[in-house]
Amino acid sequence: MIPRAPRLIAGVIAVLGIATACASRTVDVSYPQTEVKKALLANVAPRRVVVAPVTDRRGDKDRIGATPVDRKPIVTARQVADIVRDALIREVEKNGHQVVAGPGDVILAADVEEFWLDAVGRSSATQYVGRVAIALAVADGETGDRVWSRRYVGIRRQTAEADSKTAWREVMDTALARTMRDVATDADLALSLARTPR
Amino acid sequence: MTTGLRSAMPCVVALTIILLSGCASSDRPPAPRMRPSSAALTDLRRLVVVTTGESRFTVLHGVKEPGRSFDDVVKWLPGKDILAPIARALYSGLSWLLDADRAERTVPRDVVPGTVVAEAFARALQVSGPFNQIVPMDHEPVGDDRRLADAIVRLTVPSWGLMRVREGDADVVAGFADVRAQMVVRETGVIVWEHEEDVTHPGRLSLEAFKHDAGLTRQDLVDVLERAGRRLASELVYAQDGRR
Repeated sequence: MIPRAPRLIAGVIAVLGIATACASRTVDVSYPQTEVKKALLANVAPRRVVVAPVTDRRGDKDRIGATPVDRKPIVTARQVADIVRDALIREVEKNGHQVVAGPGDVILAADVEEFWLDAVGRSSATQYVGRVAIALAVADGETGDRVWSRRYVGIRRQTAEADSKTAWREVMDTALARTMRDVATDADLALSLARTPR
Repeated sequence: MTTGLRSAMPCVVALTIILLSGCASSDRPPAPRMRPSSAALTDLRRLVVVTTGESRFTVLHGVKEPGRSFDDVVKWLPGKDILAPIARALYSGLSWLLDADRAERTVPRDVVPGTVVAEAFARALQVSGPFNQIVPMDHEPVGDDRRLADAIVRLTVPSWGLMRVREGDADVVAGFADVRAQMVVRETGVIVWEHEEDVTHPGRLSLEAFKHDAGLTRQDLVDVLERAGRRLASELVYAQDGRR
């Protein structure tokens, strides 16, 4: 009887996993490497940057929206915090800085405040609005003191079919990309990085 | 009509359809526009920013497609096959009229959308861009203004206004602006950068709130136009690929 218990647990977990997969729709949101370019951060002399683990401060962490037709939850294939952290790392590295585990010259810390897909309507002209909002802080790598912070919001509107998984992904990809581009072209962020001692 | 001709009829019709469909425009998406190389943007130091084209103000709150409750009612109607399309057309027409009426009552008449976008675009580029001089103008430059410019950026705001951005018990709307920008080298006329963007205000409020507070509406719309200018500047700086 006892050897059967692990099998039973594994079976229950498998059934629950399948049930969860059927109940939600998964989209693979990302910030592709090919989209990343050098921007203002490249004008700062190379720094060793610690990109701290991103904190997920969303009110609803279980989903990023609901399908327009049957209101099933839409979820991301990876953790939202990991998606945002990877995007930040790509921007920092592309601009000639070295991302290190620690210690570094500067610490970049981000909170995700929103990562959400809204849908208006249920027809072939459903309007999607994707929003990505993050709070970014720069801290001195040696003392840990926060020296600068700012919020960024990337929004994308797109009209598409009510059940278009492709549109859901494109809308969220673009909202994320717009957020990252605002980060990469922010003169004040570049200045605060430049002020941190090497 | 002879029996032979009658039997050939379906083939003739099918052949005609095939030939006509060959003449019709295809549904294939247009070829992607060539992305300008960042090298083409170097050595452009003096910019003139001008606004072009018409801007249409809209308040898109009504749903052009009737919802489920509409379908539930229509399915019980006698002669629904005929009545349903008529009812749908009527619904869309009324919805459009309501939107047009709302737009007429909401538009802030002292706001020139292109000018607000152009000024915000120029301010943002002065802070973060590689350009020495950026001059926003409300018309195409002539004389010395034109001769001294390295490039001309033409901005268009085809549509702006308020749009429903979330569905639910309390529908909310936000300011929006659809913008286009094109940078042309003055000497050669070569387009070195083009960008289109849907810009939406991060803030969301009920349409009632906007209807009852003209000052709030004006502020929200100016905010989204300025955001559009900053977004365009951000995309232009990003397109430079680190060149300053």
